Amino acid sequence: MADTLTPGRAAERLRGLSADVRAAVLLDAAGSLAGASDDDHDHAQELAELARRLFEEVDRATRDWDTEPPEQVEVQIPGGAVFASRTPRWTLAAVAKRNALSSLLLYDLRAVLGELEGGPPIRRSVSVAGAGGTAGEEHAAEDLPMPELGGQ
Amino acid sequence: MKEKRKGPLSRAAGLAEGMAATVRRMQREREPRVLVYDPAGYARLVQPEARGHDHIMDVAERMLALVAGRE
Repeated sequence: MADTLTPGRAAERLRGLSADVRAAVLLDAAGSLAGASDDDHDHAQELAELARRLFEEVDRATRDWDTEPPEQVEVQIPGGAVFASRTPRWTLAAVAKRNALSSLLLYDLRAVLGELEGGPPIRRSVSVAGAGGTAGEEHAAEDLPMPELGGQ
Repeated sequence: MKEKRKGPLSRAAGLAEGMAATVRRMQREREPRVLVYDPAGYARLVQPEARGHDHIMDVAERMLALVAGRE
C-alpha cells in the first residue's frame, strides 16, 4: 500500500504535520536511528544519539516516582523546545520552534507513532473548494460517525 | 465577583488587562522547564532543583544547538 507509513518517512511526516518542527528523528527500540527529517546522515545520527540520551536522563530523573515511566517529554529552553514521545518499539523526537504549541506537537508525535504502529493513517482535511465542491462534501459526509440505532 | 465594566474607557481597560494576562501566560509557558507525561497524558513538572533536571536541560539545549547550527 503506497500510503503506509514507514520508519524512514515518519520524521518527515511529522514535519509535514507541524510547521513548528525544525528537525525530527525516529529511533528504534535499540536506540538506533531509524529515520530522520534531515538528509545529512551524520547530523541525524548525532541528533538521534541526543534523543536517546534525553529519555535516559528522563528515566533517571523520574526513577523514584510512584508513576508509570513517562511516555512523552517536553523541554522548553530559550530559543526553542524539544519534544519526544515513545512506544515500546519507537522513539520520535523533535526540535521545535519557540512558539510551538505543546499540546498540538505532543498530539502529532503520538499520532505519527500510532500510525507507525499500524494505527489509522493521519488524514489531512481538504477544503471543500479544493476537493471540487459537492464531491468534497460527499466525502466529508462519509467520514461522519454514524450513530448506531436500535440498541435498546 | 468581578465588577461589570461600563463605558468605552472601562471596556478598553478590560481588553488591555486581558491582553496583558495573555502575554504573561504565554511568557510563563515559554519559561525553561521540563514536563513529562504519563501514558494517560497527565503532565508532571520535573522541578528545577530535582535530580537530573540539569542533565535533561543540557541534552535538550544540545539538540537545539545542533539543529540551529544547520539552519
